[in-house]
Amino acid sequence: MNTQNQNNIKIAAFVCNWCSYAGADSAGTSRLQYDDSIRIIRFPCTGRIDPIFIIKAFETEVDGVLVSGCHPGDCHYSTGNFYARRRFNVFRSLMEFIGLDLRRLHFSWVSAAEGAKWANVVNKVSSEVKSIPNGKFKWALTYHKKNNGQNTEHKNKKTELSKKIKNLYESFIKEYNKPFPYEKENTLTEQLRTLAKNLLVNNKVNAIIGYKSSNFEKLTTPVVITNPESVNQLVWNRYCVNNLTSYLTRPKIKKLGKIGIVVKACDSKSIIGLIQENQINRDDIFIIGIQCDGVLENEKILEKCLSCSNRIPVIKNEYIYDKEIEIKLNVNVIDEAIKLIENSSIEERWNFWQEEFSRCIRCYACRTVCPFCYCETCITDKHRPQWISPSASPKGNFSWNLIRAFHLSGRCIGCNECSRVCPVNIHLDILNRKIALEIKKEFEYEAGVSIDVSPPLTTYRPDDSQEFIL
Amino acid sequence: MARIGVFVCHCGENIARTVDIEKLTQEISNISGVVYSNHYRYVCSDPGQKMIRDTIKEHNLTAVVVAACSPLMHEVTFRRAAQEAGLNPYLVEMANIREHCSWVHQDKIRATEKAKEIVKTIIDKIKFARPLQTIQVPITRRALVIGGGVSGIQAALDLAKSGFQVTLIERQPSIGGNMARLSETFPTLDCSQCILTPKMVEVNRHPNIELITYAELEEVSGYVGNFKVKIKKKPRYVIEDLCTGCGDCANVCPVSIPNEFDRGLSWRKAIYIPFPQAVPAVYTLDEKSCLGLNPLACERCSQICTAKAIDYQQKPEIIEREVGAIIVATGYELLPAEQAKEYGWGIHPDIMDGLEFERMLSASGPTNGVVKRPSDGKTPKNVVFIQCVGSRDPARGVPYCSKICCMYTAKHALLYKHKVHDGNAYIFYMDIRAGGKGFEEFVTRVMEEERVLYIRGRASRVIPLNGKLIVQGIDTLSNQKIDIEADLVVLATSIVATHQNGLDSKLKITADQFGFIKEAHPKLRPVETMTAGVFLAGAVQAPKDILESVAQASGAASKVLELFSKGMIEREPIVAQVNEMTCSGCFDCLRICPYGAIQKKEIKDKQGNIIKYVANVNDAVCGGCGACTVNCRNHSMDLFGFTDQEIYSEIIAIA
Repeated sequence: MNTQNQNNIKIAAFVCNWCSYAGADSAGTSRLQYDDSIRIIRFPCTGRIDPIFIIKAFETEVDGVLVSGCHPGDCHYSTGNFYARRRFNVFRSLMEFIGLDLRRLHFSWVSAAEGAKWANVVNKVSSEVKSIPNGKFKWALTYHKKNNGQNTEHKNKKTELSKKIKNLYESFIKEYNKPFPYEKENTLTEQLRTLAKNLLVNNKVNAIIGYKSSNFEKLTTPVVITNPESVNQLVWNRYCVNNLTSYLTRPKIKKLGKIGIVVKACDSKSIIGLIQENQINRDDIFIIGIQCDGVLENEKILEKCLSCSNRIPVIKNEYIYDKEIEIKLNVNVIDEAIKLIENSSIEERWNFWQEEFSRCIRCYACRTVCPFCYCETCITDKHRPQWISPSASPKGNFSWNLIRAFHLSGRCIGCNECSRVCPVNIHLDILNRKIALEIKKEFEYEAGVSIDVSPPLTTYRPDDSQEFIL
Repeated sequence: MARIGVFVCHCGENIARTVDIEKLTQEISNISGVVYSNHYRYVCSDPGQKMIRDTIKEHNLTAVVVAACSPLMHEVTFRRAAQEAGLNPYLVEMANIREHCSWVHQDKIRATEKAKEIVKTIIDKIKFARPLQTIQVPITRRALVIGGGVSGIQAALDLAKSGFQVTLIERQPSIGGNMARLSETFPTLDCSQCILTPKMVEVNRHPNIELITYAELEEVSGYVGNFKVKIKKKPRYVIEDLCTGCGDCANVCPVSIPNEFDRGLSWRKAIYIPFPQAVPAVYTLDEKSCLGLNPLACERCSQICTAKAIDYQQKPEIIEREVGAIIVATGYELLPAEQAKEYGWGIHPDIMDGLEFERMLSASGPTNGVVKRPSDGKTPKNVVFIQCVGSRDPARGVPYCSKICCMYTAKHALLYKHKVHDGNAYIFYMDIRAGGKGFEEFVTRVMEEERVLYIRGRASRVIPLNGKLIVQGIDTLSNQKIDIEADLVVLATSIVATHQNGLDSKLKITADQFGFIKEAHPKLRPVETMTAGVFLAGAVQAPKDILESVAQASGAASKVLELFSKGMIEREPIVAQVNEMTCSGCFDCLRICPYGAIQKKEIKDKQGNIIKYVANVNDAVCGGCGACTVNCRNHSMDLFGFTDQEIYSEIIAIA
């Protein structure tokens, strides 16, 4: 252990103006001595503190971050800290999951009168950071060899954990990839075409988003049909993997007016989210639910189909089905992978995710297919200030993938399109699912179930859990 | 290019002792953007401020950083100084190297290093600061006063007499509050009713006062100068304008229940007027004790009423008003009976609290001022008064002193002795707290001239025995156990906060652990709350006597007048701002905004077609918390004063 390092740690403290900043003032007024590693940044409220700030602080390689605000109920703006509490609860779980040593990340409530508590909190945080033996903190590691052979901290390409997860996925697919009873695909396609033609002819919709056969066998491609004569292009079969709802928010599609859309049960959940977030009007879309018995890519069933429990779309205008086929495997390989990761050591988790993210080439395919990545300008494309480096560098990749995962918290409905399209196979499905599970556990909320329930990070309960807050 | 001036303060020895000021000033001058750096012994002093003003002009500074104490202390001072020199005040920031550095560290080298980093963080922040203009908001010059006790009455009258419209609401059927219950007031022994009722009548008559009784605050929205309030007026089933107050209805009403105004010492009917001098002098039909309104059970009151004032169909009415300021004067209550069990209160009729005894002493009270035992109507010859029942008793009651009990108990004993010349009065006390004009003299008079026996010590319990009440206690001065055979026991129960019933959260004001509303500053802003435009009067803030309540009410009224005297309210320009280009219109911001400051705005193309909806911030309403900015995933929302760019620079500067 390097004593030099231990004395030169730096901790960023993000504090609210009204309570903790004043609490730190009060510690000063009382001349309470505390560790000098803390650097305070003043915010109006903990509600103003974006997790992206914490990520940025870690990226600049401060050794620890403390976020401190008013006790619940004391917020100067009445509710800011309630939202912050939820946000940081999720963010902290995410950080724990990716293997950040939580001795580096702390949260506290310190009121304007609690000078002594402030001094104690600072001392506790700095002693925890100092107790981490690895010396200087390194946020994002370079995993893969650069051309010149430098900047390489880890030469092994894959971590043990990633091999285990790969094996886990393969074993599941092997075991459950049995032929499904896809008998009625042609009948369903016919029904779909008839319905589509009716809708278009009667001007109930101006366009229909569906699937058509592609030049490749065993592959379909999305299609927008505006002419009733073209409905025969529409197909429905086991290769219709895409979640078409991501098209609904595209300006070109929106211009078409009322849209019909073919959705599987899983995809229909994202429509709930899009309505909640004011991206589409329920009246502007005609939802054609269609019976889905699981979909295949490269003749392998998708992981999400193994755990699919509800085969009827949650929101629909029409439902095309033959007869309900009860297929409930209810085996969730992603959940198993989460358990595997959670049972690994911090170092294993940290290295696993570092390696995952280091492969990212920043093609943004994940963003393109995600129905919830509808922002006109993505945060990563904003450069004043540049919170996320746009280059495929270790730091940029790390921030990008974490921020994207956080931005999907409470919204991701688990269509897993992002990980499906990822050309370098980053396990985004695991990350998103982990947050969804956390949100379900903490806030009893599940995305894509009901339009009327407020998304979890836009609401709060006064008695939300806060065990993680000092 | 920024031209930043940095002023380092020694704060006498406070900073200079642990921070090497010379070295700090020298190192700061090397930071990019800094064109001037200097130090001074007290920058907040007049010469210090002059130095800032002169340097701004001389060096043509575009921003100023003062490295000194906490911005919570002197930010306003330095911003004002900069403004006087023609620099926008929001281009001045403070680096806190006193409270956050010199006072909490000892190693001079490390503290100097830390101070430098603190200053650098602020310098990097201010490079991106923008000049901001204060926001001007118009004012509705009408006040709402909540609570018609003496504090509310005083505040309403002060405002009305100054020429402003006031809406006064009261939860009970009549105004007057607790003061209307009192017999005589210490230390001068004025008759309470005699000094209060003229004010009550004046409130009712004053053209600028709108009195709404039997009503509660339902909802509040808006902000200082521009509140919108909804007042829920409960149905009294009597049309106020028609009722003549003749009382025929009460005579025929078959239902009798204990009168709350007399603390249960007398009876009232289901249709009643709480006391003869009630304002408004209008009867109220108590829905709960009436034999039945739906379906109608007796209708006798309606049949006898010649004025045709009874209306069984009345429904709760919502009255909406726009007001610029709100005064909260909801008063106090006494400790509930359950909490004084050891003295048998609520169990035996001859054990009563101070307010019950007040009613008994009052000439207009249930006994017309004759002191009688409620149990048998006999004149009590031995009366024991017990002070601090629940007060200063964290284990069973409240830790604080209720402040008025020493005085009113002395008054009770005196009035009792005046009414029952051969009676004996005993007072158990812990300490006598008589700090007020004429208070000590009054207590001395009660002790020496009225020959009331003060026993220093606590009564342990009261045991009813053979028609008497045995008060067991201890005299700690002579260290003797004392048993007194009393005919009547009066308990000075502690003052507790009125149950706010959600009023505090509706007004966004905070109550302390006991339920009393917190003032903005315990010494310097005692009548203001942390919510701009909401003020406090009377015992809603803490136990108070009449004099203090009235003084505070006038104080609150003058604060409202201060507000109303301005043409416009100036608000800090720390508000959120939307980037309409990149806003996707998810309206998560709208969901979480605690001020309701965000609206949907249409963006149209040249042909007038709606392209999209974006968020729009109402500057006048935005409180500047920044919660919206974080919920905005692509940071299309930003907060002036704490912009993304500023925060980014600070974070980068720390590393």
